[in-house]
Amino acid sequence: MTILSVLALVPTVDAINIALQNRELSSPDSQYVWFANFIALFHDARFLHAMWVSLIWEILTVTATMLVAIPLAVLLFEFTGPAVRNALCVLFIVPVLLPRVSAAFVWKFAFHPLYGLAAYPLHLLMGHPVDLLADPYTAMLTVAIVDVWQWGLLFSVIIVKLLETLPRQPLEAARLDYARTWEVYLFIAVPMLRAPLIALAFVKMVESLRAFDLIYVMTRGGPGVATETLDMYAYSQGFIESGLISYASSMAVLMMAVTTIAFTILWRWAR
Amino acid sequence: MGPVKARAASTLAMRAIIVLVAALVVIPVLWTLISSFKHTVDIETTPPTLVFTPTLDNFLYVLNRASVRNALINSIVISASAVAIGAVLGLPCAYAVARYPTRRAPDIQFFVLSLRFLPPIAVALPLMVIWLDLGLYDTRIAMIVTYTLFTLSITIWLAIPAFRQVPKEIEEAAFIDGYSAYAIFFRIALPVASKSLIGAIVFSFVLVWNEFLIALMLTTSDARTLPIVASELSQLGFDTPWGILNASVIVLSLPPLMFLGVLSGFLNSLFKRNA
Repeated sequence: MTILSVLALVPTVDAINIALQNRELSSPDSQYVWFANFIALFHDARFLHAMWVSLIWEILTVTATMLVAIPLAVLLFEFTGPAVRNALCVLFIVPVLLPRVSAAFVWKFAFHPLYGLAAYPLHLLMGHPVDLLADPYTAMLTVAIVDVWQWGLLFSVIIVKLLETLPRQPLEAARLDYARTWEVYLFIAVPMLRAPLIALAFVKMVESLRAFDLIYVMTRGGPGVATETLDMYAYSQGFIESGLISYASSMAVLMMAVTTIAFTILWRWAR
Repeated sequence: MGPVKARAASTLAMRAIIVLVAALVVIPVLWTLISSFKHTVDIETTPPTLVFTPTLDNFLYVLNRASVRNALINSIVISASAVAIGAVLGLPCAYAVARYPTRRAPDIQFFVLSLRFLPPIAVALPLMVIWLDLGLYDTRIAMIVTYTLFTLSITIWLAIPAFRQVPKEIEEAAFIDGYSAYAIFFRIALPVASKSLIGAIVFSFVLVWNEFLIALMLTTSDARTLPIVASELSQLGFDTPWGILNASVIVLSLPPLMFLGVLSGFLNSLFKRNA
């Protein structure tokens, strides 16, 4: 346990330490510049943009995942027999087991404007090849589809399992009172599962923060900076473009602080 | 339409939606699989085609490439070591928390979980600096130690409830029969909880096998893992070599998918328990 806390604390403390210096990848020497990096961040338009993109990404993927998972789980629960349902439950966890790099390539290939399976109907519809990943307006939506493909389906499986554990009586009582099927779920089943559903949304919020690999493979933050989230920007500042480790680290520290505070507040509020 | 007919129609429509979603899972993956056996000429067609002469060239190319082979070995060695160390250290630790609850036990559980909250980039940057300073940057050792941080925390987190499920009476009976605490752990608790524990360990394997960002930042060539090398294949030459890329996606995805059965069973047991 102690080892684990040390292992966990060392990077965190070190991240803060590095963020207060002016270390660069090219040279090992550095001085303490204290909060200069943080001040610079708030004058950095690209950083502010990345923050905005991250926020939209969080809201978009978490909402979409829940909006796909809950109705899909109800459908599975209501309209399939046990054997089919179990088979589908196995099938629906395949996407999330795929390494994100694989999932990203599978869909990047499917959305390829000329040879892609998913892009072909669009091609026919519009009369010209459509590159969804090259358009700043559709790029994020397209990447989000892949994210929901992975997580929405996993969550639907989990919610099916949760529905199976619910007592039958309240649902049947409502049916006897001539409640419609969707009313039974909306007003009885979903409220009964309120706590686990909130926990799931919480898990998705945390997971949405780790979408780096998906975005990296599918768009590299592009076109332009349209899908550049905070971790993409920190990565490119720290490595590709300038090697400003300290600057990137100050971003990471800020992210850490904001997410910790946000999640603590959300967690308290949800309980 | 009468109410019975309307009901049948809506059932049919709902089932159609389910079939559609299932198709959305199967078709893209299947398409990637099919395309990995295609020559480039058959891939680069509009509209996409199903008629082609299959080839193994893509797989042969991928598996004969030195960088991919090296990455495959790295991925296997690093994941296996991290998972093994995580299990050897994590299981006794989880057992201790489950069986000898102290007032701090819930805190420990939350702390272990909170390791997952950290943005990976916030972990990767300082670790990079640490490994650079120690002269271990881009080595398997550095990657194994880093990944052990993940496997250890996941194993502990998932193994605590698994051990709690072991009926206390069995352990007490063993204690009365003169078993030592260690013997109880190895000969009673481990075998009884083994199904869930294997699920937990497999889960930690899938997690590190699929990991991307940290591997990307902590390695440059020698210790590169498979996901990174696969992602780099897209930059070969002028055109994206989709056949090769699809073959590498298949190779990369096979290990986690091999465990589909184990993990799906684990998911079931995880939620049955709360019932």
